[in-house]
Amino acid sequence: MLNMWRISWRNITQNKKRFFISLLGIILGIAFVTSMLIADKTTNDVFDYYEEMYVANADYWVLSDEHTYSEDVVSSVLTSPIVTETMLALDKQAFFELEGDQSLNQRSVRITGVNDQSSSLLKLPVIEGSLDNEGLVIPKAVANLLNKKVGDTIRFTDLGEAKVSAIVEYTQLLASPSNWERAESTSFRIMAPLELLQEWTGMEDKLSYVRFQTTEEGEKLFQSLQEEFRNSNVYVQPVVADDRQSNDIGGLYTFFYLIAGLSMFISGFIVFNMIYTSVMERKKEFAIMKSFGYLQSSVSRLILIEVLLLGLIGTAVGVPMGIWLGDMFMQTLLSVFEFDMVYTLNWKIPALIAVVVGILFPVVSSLFPIYNAGKTSVLLTLKMANQTQSSRSLYIVRAVLGVGLLAFVFINHPISYLAILVSIILLFPLLLLGVSRIFKPILKLIFGYSGSLATQTLTKQLNRNANTAAILAVGIAVILLLSAVIESAPEGYENEIRNTYGGDLRVSSESPWSNQDIEKLLSYDAVVNVDSLTEATPITWVNTNGEKRQFSIFAVDEEGPTLFESSNKDNLYYELAKEPSVILGERAFDEWGGNIGEYIYINTPSGKQQLEVLDVVKTSNYSGYVAFMDENHLNNKFGWANNFDVLLTLKDGYTGEQLRNELWLDFSTHLSKVETVEDEIKSTTSALIGMNELILIMLVLIIGLASIGTANTLLMNTLERTTEIGTMRALGFTKQQVKKMIIGEGLLIGLSGVIGGIISGVVLLYTTSQSELLGGVISFQLPLGNIILALIAGVSLSLLASWISSTTASKINIISSLKEG
Amino acid sequence: MIKVRNLKKEFIQGQERTQVLKGFDLNIEEGEFVAVMGPSGSGKSTLLQLLGGLDVPTEGDIVINQSNLSNMTEKERTIFRRKYIGFIFQNYQLLPTLSVEENIAFPLHADGSLTKKKNQIIIELLDSVGLKGLGRKRANLLSGGQQQRVAIARALVNNPSVLLADEPTGNLDRGKAEEILGLISRFNRENNQTIIMVTHDIFAAGFADRIILFKDGVIDQVISRKGDDYAKYVANFMA
Ligand SMILES: Nc1ncnc2c1ncn2[C@@H]1O[C@H](COP(=O)(O)OP(=O)(O)O)[C@@H](O)[C@H]1O
Ligand SMILES: [Mg+2]
Repeated sequence: MLNMWRISWRNITQNKKRFFISLLGIILGIAFVTSMLIADKTTNDVFDYYEEMYVANADYWVLSDEHTYSEDVVSSVLTSPIVTETMLALDKQAFFELEGDQSLNQRSVRITGVNDQSSSLLKLPVIEGSLDNEGLVIPKAVANLLNKKVGDTIRFTDLGEAKVSAIVEYTQLLASPSNWERAESTSFRIMAPLELLQEWTGMEDKLSYVRFQTTEEGEKLFQSLQEEFRNSNVYVQPVVADDRQSNDIGGLYTFFYLIAGLSMFISGFIVFNMIYTSVMERKKEFAIMKSFGYLQSSVSRLILIEVLLLGLIGTAVGVPMGIWLGDMFMQTLLSVFEFDMVYTLNWKIPALIAVVVGILFPVVSSLFPIYNAGKTSVLLTLKMANQTQSSRSLYIVRAVLGVGLLAFVFINHPISYLAILVSIILLFPLLLLGVSRIFKPILKLIFGYSGSLATQTLTKQLNRNANTAAILAVGIAVILLLSAVIESAPEGYENEIRNTYGGDLRVSSESPWSNQDIEKLLSYDAVVNVDSLTEATPITWVNTNGEKRQFSIFAVDEEGPTLFESSNKDNLYYELAKEPSVILGERAFDEWGGNIGEYIYINTPSGKQQLEVLDVVKTSNYSGYVAFMDENHLNNKFGWANNFDVLLTLKDGYTGEQLRNELWLDFSTHLSKVETVEDEIKSTTSALIGMNELILIMLVLIIGLASIGTANTLLMNTLERTTEIGTMRALGFTKQQVKKMIIGEGLLIGLSGVIGGIISGVVLLYTTSQSELLGGVISFQLPLGNIILALIAGVSLSLLASWISSTTASKINIISSLKEG
Repeated sequence: MIKVRNLKKEFIQGQERTQVLKGFDLNIEEGEFVAVMGPSGSGKSTLLQLLGGLDVPTEGDIVINQSNLSNMTEKERTIFRRKYIGFIFQNYQLLPTLSVEENIAFPLHADGSLTKKKNQIIIELLDSVGLKGLGRKRANLLSGGQQQRVAIARALVNNPSVLLADEPTGNLDRGKAEEILGLISRFNRENNQTIIMVTHDIFAAGFADRIILFKDGVIDQVISRKGDDYAKYVANFMA
C-alpha cells in the first residue's frame, strides 16, 4: 500500500510546474472556502455575543410609555418571591462640559443610572478599573475621544461631576460615536450610579426601566404583571435578543456562501483539468497495466490516491492560510460597519468543515476521469486511435441547449440566475470562436504569424479552453452583479428613505411635546410642518416558529406622515382603522413567517394580543423590521398613549443640518435626539459603500483564482503539444515565436472570459433590475469602474498565466520532443 | 559546402556520460546526395540534428555555406535553419491542426515571407508531390505516404540548400518508399539541393551518390557511386 502512495506521488509531481499550479489552485480554493466559513461563523458569533450581552441574565423588564415612572409602581416586582434579581435604571439626556469648542449636539450624552453596575442582568466587558457603583462607566470610544482615564473627572453641564471608575469595551447599551463628526448626529452613552443621577436631576424615586430575573415560574408572573399593568402607564416585556432593527446583515451570509461556492467551483475545475489530462496522457500506461492483469478498480484506485494526495496537501496548506485570510477579512468587514466591535475568530469548526471539504472536493471533481481511467480499453488504446476529435454535433447540442436556457432571462425566479450561468458556459465554445475570429487580425498585427496560429490552435482543445474562459466569465459575472447591486443600492435606499422617513428631521424628546413647543417649532423660518410621531418600543412578538422577537410599532393614519410605500395606501389606512390590526415591513414579515390575513401574537402594554396582518409594505424605517398600526387603536386598544417624537418638514432650500444647533439650544432640557433624513441615508448607505471596496478585492481574487485555471489549461495545452512545438522549432520557429503563440492563446481565453463575463453580468443585472424582489432598489446601471477593473485584471492576469506556460513551451527540447512524436 | 571537423558529441545524464560522436571529419559537396547508414544507436540521428543546428556539438566545427554553426546563438541557428535547412522526419511530424497548405507554408510564415508569388510556389509544390487539390484538407486526415509527401513539400518550400532526411521511408511500404525516394532525388537533381538521408534500407541508400557507413560514433567506411566498391557493397547487402 505504501508503495502505491509513493507511485502516486511520483506521478503527480512528475511535471513540477503542473503540480505546482494545480496545487496552488486547490490551496487558494480551500483557503477561500475556509475564510468564508470562518467569516460566516465569526460574524454570527459577534452579533450573538452582543445580543447576549444586551440580554444578560434578564428575563423581563418593566418599561413605560412615558419616559419615567415612580419606583412604587413596580413594588410588586421588587418584592415578588419569584424574582431572583432586579436592576433599576434611569435614562437621562445631558451634556459633557468640555474645554474644546464642540457644539451642544456634539456634547450630548445619555446617562443611564443603574443601581448595581456589576449586576448579572447587565454584562459590562471591563477593560480598565472596576465596577464600584461610585463612579462612571464609560466605553473605550468615549475614553479615547475625551482623553479620560480611570480616576479622571468628567463634568456635566448643569448637573455635576463624577470620577471615571471603569472603561469598557463596545456594548450595545453604551454604543457611542468614536469621532466628533459622528457625534454630530448621535449621542454618547455612559453609565452612572442610579442614586447619583437621581440626585443630580432631582428625579428621586424615578425609573426608566426595571430588569429582573425570575425562577421557572416567570411566565406566570409575567401574565399577572400584564394584568396588573393593563391600565397603567407601565408595561412588562420579556427581554429578547433581537438586534434586527439596528443591523441588517442577512445579505452578508449570502455573500459569504456565494464567494465560497464560486472558489470551490473554480478550484474543482482546475483539479478536473489536471486529472483528466493526466488520465488521457497515461491511457497507454493504463492499458498496459490492464493487459498485465490489473483490475479496473486498481487503476481507478491509483488515480484516486493521486487526487487524495493533492487534496491532503492542499488542505494542509490551504486551511491555515484560510484562517489567516478569514482574520484579515473580518477586520476589513467590521471596519466597514463602523462598529468598534471586538471579535474572537471562530475557526475551529469552520476549519474542520474545510478539511472535510478540502479532501472531498478534489475527489468529487475528478470522479469522471477516475472512472474513465479504470474503463480504459486495452485494445483500443494500444492501437492508439486518435480519439480526441471533438464531434461537431456535440457542439451543436451544447449551443442549442445554451440558447434554450437563455430564455430564463424573462422568467422571474431565483433559478434564472443559475440557468443563465449554465447557458453562458454552454455557449462558450461559440463565444470563444467568435472572439478569436474577431481578434485574429489584431493578434496577427501584434504577434505576427504566432498570433494567427494561436487562434487556430485554440480550437484543438475547444472544450477545455472554452470551459476555462467560462469559469473566468462566471466569476466576473457574479462579482459584477454583486458590485452593481451594491453600487446602485445606495441610490435605491436613498429614494426609499426620502419617501418613507415622514419628514426631513426627526426630533426625539424625553417628555411629551407641549403645544408651546410645537408652536415654537413652527415659528422657525425653515419649518413648514410639524407632525407628531408615535413609536411604541420595545414591543415583543412571536414568529410562526414560536421564537420571541422585538421591534417597534409606528402609529399611522391618513392625516399623518408617510412612513411606508404602498399602491393602495388609502385603503390600508381605512382597513387599519376598522379593527385593531397591523401591517408589517418586509423584513419583519419575512421574520414572522406567516401569510397576509393570518394573526401575529404581540405583547402589547395591555397584554398579549392577536392582531391580523393586513399587508406587507416597503419602508425604510428600521430597514423594514417594523410594524404599523392605526393611531387610535395604538392609543386605546393596544395601550400606548404617548409620543415623544416629532417629524419636521422643511421649506425647500433648508437642510436639517442647519437646524440641529438651534434645536439643541432651544430644547436642551428634554431633547434626546435630532436625526436628519441625511443622517439616516448616510448611516444606511455607508456600510454598502464600504462593502464596495471589499467587492473589488474579491473581484481581483476571483479573477486571480480563475487565472490559475487559465495557467493550468495553457500548461496542459502546451504539454500535450510538445511534439508539435518541437516540430515548429525544427522548422525554424524561434523561441520568441513559440512564446508569442502561447501568450496569444492565453490572451484569447482571457479576453473571451472577460467579454463573456461582462455580457453575462449585464444579463444578470438586467434580470435583477426586472425582478420583484430587488427591482425597486436596483436600477439597471452598469458598474463601469468595476467593468474596467475586470477587463484590466482579467487580461493582465491571463497574460501572466500564459507567460508561465509560454516559458515552458519555449524551453521544450526539440530533439527529445521529436523522439516522442 | 558542408565541412565537418573533429565532430564530437557527448550526452550527460546524471552521472552517466555517453560519447555518441567520437570525432571525425566529413566534407559534402553542393548538390550531393549522401546516405548515412549504420546500426541503431550509432549516432546517425545525432549527426543530422547537429547538421541542422537543433543541437550543438560538444567539440569540433560544422561549417555550412561558410557559416560556422558552433559560433551562432540559439536564435541565429533557428533563423539559419529556417533559411538553409529542410527537415524530413520518419514520422512526418505534420502539424495536425493545420491544413496541408498551411503545413507547407509554415516555414514561410515563420519567416514572415509569405507573398502572393510564394503562394504560387505552394500550389506548384502540391502538384509536383502529387497532392493536387488536397491543399485544404486537415493534415492528420491523410495517409502515411501522403503525409510524407506534404512533409517533403514543406521541407522544400523555402528552397533550402540542404535537405536533411531521417529515415524518411522507415514507416512506408516498398512501393510508397520508392515514390518518396523518387521525389527526393528528383528535387536533388532539379534544384541542385544537397541531401543527407539517414536510412536503414539499402534499397533507399541506392538512390544516393555516396553512402557513409557509421559505426560506434565514427565513420567506418565511405562508399562512392563512382567507386567500384559501391556496386559490390550494394550487391553484398542484397544477397
Ligand atoms: N538527448 C540524449 N541524451 C542521452 N543520450 C542520447 C540522447 N540522444 C541520443 N542519445 C544516445 O545517443 C546514441 C545515438 O543515438 P542516435 O543518434 O539517435 O542513434 P541512431 O539514430 O544512429 O539510431 C544512443 O545510444 C542514444 O541513446
Ligand atoms: Mg535514429
